[in-house]
Amino acid sequence: MGEFNVHRVRFFNYVPSGIRCVAYNNQSNRLAVSRTDGTVEIYNLSANYFQEKFFPGHESRATEALCWAKGQRLFSAGLNGEIIEYDLQALNIKYAMDAFGGPIWSMAASPSGSQLLIGCEDGSVKLFQIIPDKIQFERNFDRQKSRILSLSWHPSGTHIAAGSIDYISVFDVKSGSAIHKMLVDRQYMNVSKRKCIIWGVAFLSDGTVISVDSAGKVQFWDSATGTLVKNHLIANADVQSIAVSDQEDSFVVGTAEGTIFHFQLVSVTSSSSEKQWVRTKPFQHHTHDVRTVAHSPTALISGGTDTHLVIRPLMEKVEVKNYDAALRKITFPHRRLISCSKKRQLLLFQFSHHLDLWRLGSTVATGKHGDTLPLSKDADHLLHLKTKGPENIICSCISPCGSWIAYSTASRFFLYRLNYEHDSISLQRVSKMPAFLRSALQILFSEDSTKLFVASNQGSLHVIRLLEGSFKHLHTFQPQSGTVESMCLLAVSPDGNWLAASGTSAGVHVYNVKRLKLHCTVPAYNFPVTALAIAPNTNNLVIAHSDQQIFEYSIPDKQYTEWSRTVQKQGFHHLWLQRDTPITHISFHPKRPMYILVHDAYMFCIIDKSLPLPNDKTLLYNPLPPTNESDVIRRRTAHAFKISKIYKPLLFMDLLDERTLVAVERPLDDIIAQLPPPIKKKKFGT
Amino acid sequence: MVQLRPRASRAPASASAMVDESQPTSEEEAEHGLLLGQPSSGAAAEPLQEDDEGDEEFDDEAPEELTFASAQAEAREEERRVRETARRDKTLLKEKRKRREELFIEQKKRKLLPDSILEKLTTVSQTNIKKSPGKLKEVNLQKKNEECEKGSDSKKAKVQKVQSVSQNKSYWALRLKDQDLRDSRQQAAKAFIQNSLYGPGTNRTTVNKFLSLDNKRLPVKKAAAQFLNNGWGTQKKQNAKRFKKRWMVRKMKTKK
Repeated sequence: MGEFNVHRVRFFNYVPSGIRCVAYNNQSNRLAVSRTDGTVEIYNLSANYFQEKFFPGHESRATEALCWAKGQRLFSAGLNGEIIEYDLQALNIKYAMDAFGGPIWSMAASPSGSQLLIGCEDGSVKLFQIIPDKIQFERNFDRQKSRILSLSWHPSGTHIAAGSIDYISVFDVKSGSAIHKMLVDRQYMNVSKRKCIIWGVAFLSDGTVISVDSAGKVQFWDSATGTLVKNHLIANADVQSIAVSDQEDSFVVGTAEGTIFHFQLVSVTSSSSEKQWVRTKPFQHHTHDVRTVAHSPTALISGGTDTHLVIRPLMEKVEVKNYDAALRKITFPHRRLISCSKKRQLLLFQFSHHLDLWRLGSTVATGKHGDTLPLSKDADHLLHLKTKGPENIICSCISPCGSWIAYSTASRFFLYRLNYEHDSISLQRVSKMPAFLRSALQILFSEDSTKLFVASNQGSLHVIRLLEGSFKHLHTFQPQSGTVESMCLLAVSPDGNWLAASGTSAGVHVYNVKRLKLHCTVPAYNFPVTALAIAPNTNNLVIAHSDQQIFEYSIPDKQYTEWSRTVQKQGFHHLWLQRDTPITHISFHPKRPMYILVHDAYMFCIIDKSLPLPNDKTLLYNPLPPTNESDVIRRRTAHAFKISKIYKPLLFMDLLDERTLVAVERPLDDIIAQLPPPIKKKKFGT
Repeated sequence: MVQLRPRASRAPASASAMVDESQPTSEEEAEHGLLLGQPSSGAAAEPLQEDDEGDEEFDDEAPEELTFASAQAEAREEERRVRETARRDKTLLKEKRKRREELFIEQKKRKLLPDSILEKLTTVSQTNIKKSPGKLKEVNLQKKNEECEKGSDSKKAKVQKVQSVSQNKSYWALRLKDQDLRDSRQQAAKAFIQNSLYGPGTNRTTVNKFLSLDNKRLPVKKAAAQFLNNGWGTQKKQNAKRFKKRWMVRKMKTKK
């Protein structure tokens, strides 16, 4: 594996924002997740739970509701009173429409998918017609006294249930009038609470309405008579979310204590046909409030304030007991938030509203393997760059020479020039950005820092030459006609001749930067690309996919390399394919061309192409070889994948020079320390 | 409306004057009480009571001799005094009404656009009625903008409130009032969610206590997170430091 000095960086104070809503789409098997800062992320559950798209957040856009309608159209609504539709191809917001009812708390698409219902702060329930490329206001339902916090359609589309404060209303969709008003008990363990907030309702096809409320109750109501049928007291705190499966034989609720409960419809006795809702399984995967849950055909999905997205497959629904049946916990974004300037040993950290620039510390001490060396010079916080305006940063990059910083929000692109004078640093903004450079999905500097590559959200790639304090637009690679897919990943070869760009589904395009034309397209693969890099000297393009496959493609020869073919023939180790976080970064060793360095959130791996590949019988996760063992055994057990799991959760790892590595970790405890307070629970023995 | 008000205010005043004159002098005291006692408190009523008591005391004794001339003079003097106070009250009331009237007029003026703009607007709209509405709006907007530059800040805000359509997309006009309303509603909604999740009665613990729960059950006990992480609770630590300093100073003083 070789020995390295490792900079173990733990000063990246990144805190992901809490999850507010999840919405599962059965048709495409995708999951939309919205966070409290307004970010919306799309996870592809069939592609190994990879986060393939995201829409940057906005300060005033606190998303409170998210739903899919008309198949693949995604809508969100929030406290600024607007309904937003997202363009999933171009990765931007199609339109935002004011609903004129104050802040919006809830939204539900009709079972047919052609209508959208929203519940507002002023107590109004509004019906919108979904027409191609737009939504249109249809009518208001009878106005209620207080805010409508939850909505649910009857599967036939004739009635709706609306949860408010202290009561649930049942509306007739045709007439728009409330036919029942079911009052919810405020009492909670014989103590009268101030208010009982109905956090969620679900309407079943037999007319049962299930409500969850802030007093910790799950209640079953008969909507025909407006009476309470059954009451489950499940928590000491709020029950905040509910989701029902499509078959209506099970549902899941999430509580503020971090527990989710699975309810199932089971027979009362083994012989009788009479069925009853029974609380079957509790799961405690969260530490904080579970603000939202979803029920896919095979799994329970939950998310909350503790920023984890948890996907718990249901064992009885999974046919093959393989690794797909394992619990998934997604905490960190599947994209890079850190960029590195190797020459000056700088790290640029990207937060939602600011950038931080740090200079790494250094040491003069030397030590044995495994020693922690004392720092002779501490890491320096050089720069804190705040964005203007309410929009979140989409992407950022620092040039390898360290003298340029570029970042982009949804509507503006910023380029800065940094000047270093001994210990001081000065920042100068490059003004007059051209009109076409308004928003970028990915930014990359060439290795010699003379060119800037920008992937815009219209699918085009801009090449810009950087001069001292100014710039010149060289060329724009237009997307192939007929495709609107935007590019999310970029890689440039160290000699500056080749540029590789990949979108979310189509293949990787390779452009010739010298001749400014498309060189070739790597054949499309079923799974999205998670990382790209071009090796020095050989110009081999290494592509990692979300199913952990790694391909090596020779750009000059326009074909896969011999190593890649043997890997595909033999196949990867089964444990390697079962890894659940995608590879987010690929780099190369400057002196050893046979090495490929890859990492995901929980491991760091050096692939040595000269060694034999491991087969399924060999040990993949090899502990570091003991030195006293004979050379023969070492050589026999050695294989191409050298994996280190010392650093985790690992957000970034790169080679600064041939002897030095930098690893950026983000311990989960540090994140918890900055989250809102959880519910108090009594633990035995404390 | 503006002209009606003074007339309405005059009517009760003249009526009271009429009452004054028609009332005989024997009912002076009642009148006195009505005029003085009503607006003010017991301070004015007390001397009257004293007078009454004095009368009763005199009743017991023999009546004092009074010449007709002196009595008449006294009565006249009394009458004159009463009339004077009535008049003074009346003028005060009038003045107050006048002031309020002026304030109303001023407020109304403040609400309206300046006269010059109004005049221009009416003339423009009359001349441009046959023209297309879009053009008309543009012209209006231009005029308003010109006025805007001349006018004070408050006028500017008013003009901005007017919805406008423009071909130039580098800016857009919106009603500030709507934006304020929306912001305040959003704030209220956020406060509601914050209060219902983290407000009083929600049984929340602190992050430090939460982290220490695990630590307490570990076989190897570690220091609490707040001591391990230097970036934690900086404000609290500073406060504690300041408190300690003050406490030391206080102790030193008391020892002396």
